[in-house]
Amino acid sequence: MTFSPLVDRLLDALRVLPGVGPKTAQRMAMHLLERDREGGQHLARVLEEALAHVGYCQQCRNLTEHPLCAICESSRRDDSQLCVVESPADLLAIEEAGGFRGRYFVLHGHLSPLDGIGPGDLGLEQLEQQVNAGMVEEIVLATNPTVEGEATAHYVAEQLRGYGVRLSRLAYGVPMGGELEYVDGGTLSRAFVGRQPFSE
Amino acid sequence: MQPHPAYLLHRRPYRETSALVDVITLEHGRLRAVARGIMRPGSRSRGRLQPFTPLHLTWSGEGELKTLKVMESHGPGAMLAGEGLLCGFYANELMIRCLPVELPVKEVFAVYSSLLEALPLPAMRAPALRRFEVTLLEALDAEPVFVTENDTPLEMHTQYVYRGDMRRFRPALAQEQGIDGRTLKLLARGDWESPGLARVAKQLTRIALQPLLGNQTLRSRELMHELAVRRQKAPS
Ligand SMILES: [Zn+2]
Repeated sequence: MTFSPLVDRLLDALRVLPGVGPKTAQRMAMHLLERDREGGQHLARVLEEALAHVGYCQQCRNLTEHPLCAICESSRRDDSQLCVVESPADLLAIEEAGGFRGRYFVLHGHLSPLDGIGPGDLGLEQLEQQVNAGMVEEIVLATNPTVEGEATAHYVAEQLRGYGVRLSRLAYGVPMGGELEYVDGGTLSRAFVGRQPFSE
Repeated sequence: MQPHPAYLLHRRPYRETSALVDVITLEHGRLRAVARGIMRPGSRSRGRLQPFTPLHLTWSGEGELKTLKVMESHGPGAMLAGEGLLCGFYANELMIRCLPVELPVKEVFAVYSSLLEALPLPAMRAPALRRFEVTLLEALDAEPVFVTENDTPLEMHTQYVYRGDMRRFRPALAQEQGIDGRTLKLLARGDWESPGLARVAKQLTRIALQPLLGNQTLRSRELMHELAVRRQKAPS
């Protein structure tokens, strides 16, 4: 059954969100229309504002509505380390894990020749300019451990070779608290290749 | 259905939690299929369904778009990195662009799996790639025929230019860069992998593949080229 053309449009519109199918869209719409109109209006306003104003940080391409994001603005970050990630979500994950005090560069994707995504789509010229400016001593290549993430890391490494920066790549590993028996073969064999000297 | 040996060539997101995949199979050639639910968080199949890893697959569906049923990895994948990885992308892109779906190409499959073993070793890369390209050309009836345009034998000391449209050779013009008949006769004997012929073999397979690719360039080849140019310009 359908309620009205406008309610249907709302249901359709909600389905752009990941994980939202017809049932969930209906539940969300009913909630906003029946129980929380004020919350719905707030959502609509903030959504519109965010879409209109949030763009990329001029320095690191993280999401922000300001020219520079909070990390780039901060004077307490270490300029000598730059961590290259595929997405703002990856940046957030590393920030939440803590421990890294350097700065970031967000690619918003990875090299994927078969999808027609090349170096020009990832802001790599901008990255090179920053390295060329001379503050960076180490680049941490934190692209995903997928074939595309690996190809991206390789390209960036080749691109920055000759600038005298140290390059490092996140280690592949066995998940903490995991049991070897349940780790997939690919992860396990990579972890084996990347094994570390054991010291107490 | 028995599980079939296969490799994933490419995967892209499809609908919310599925992926659209291109695979090459031993018996049924290249297939397009939907892998349902593999993008769900925690899906075990996503880790298995990686390029360059031997797989065992079953699928269903009569139309062009199949549905993958069982996805199992079958032994460790080639550990490709750097240049070897880009060459792997190149081989995958070639198959996606050139092979019609469901054309059985057993030899291509076999040579592809030995290519994957060769790619981690820099010295083996070029010969293995040539062998792969030539096998692909042969499977599609597009390999060079080592005779002249008039089907006469090639002369040892004449310079020739390959005509991709006729799959045959014509004598080079006065100012034209050609390949001499002696070299071509070696290639005709199947010497594609010999180090002394590496440059010519690469040139020739490239021209021979062109008609199969049409006007669109191969993105992975462009990427490798960009890197090679960078390396030459690099300060150190
Ligand atoms: Zn920033």
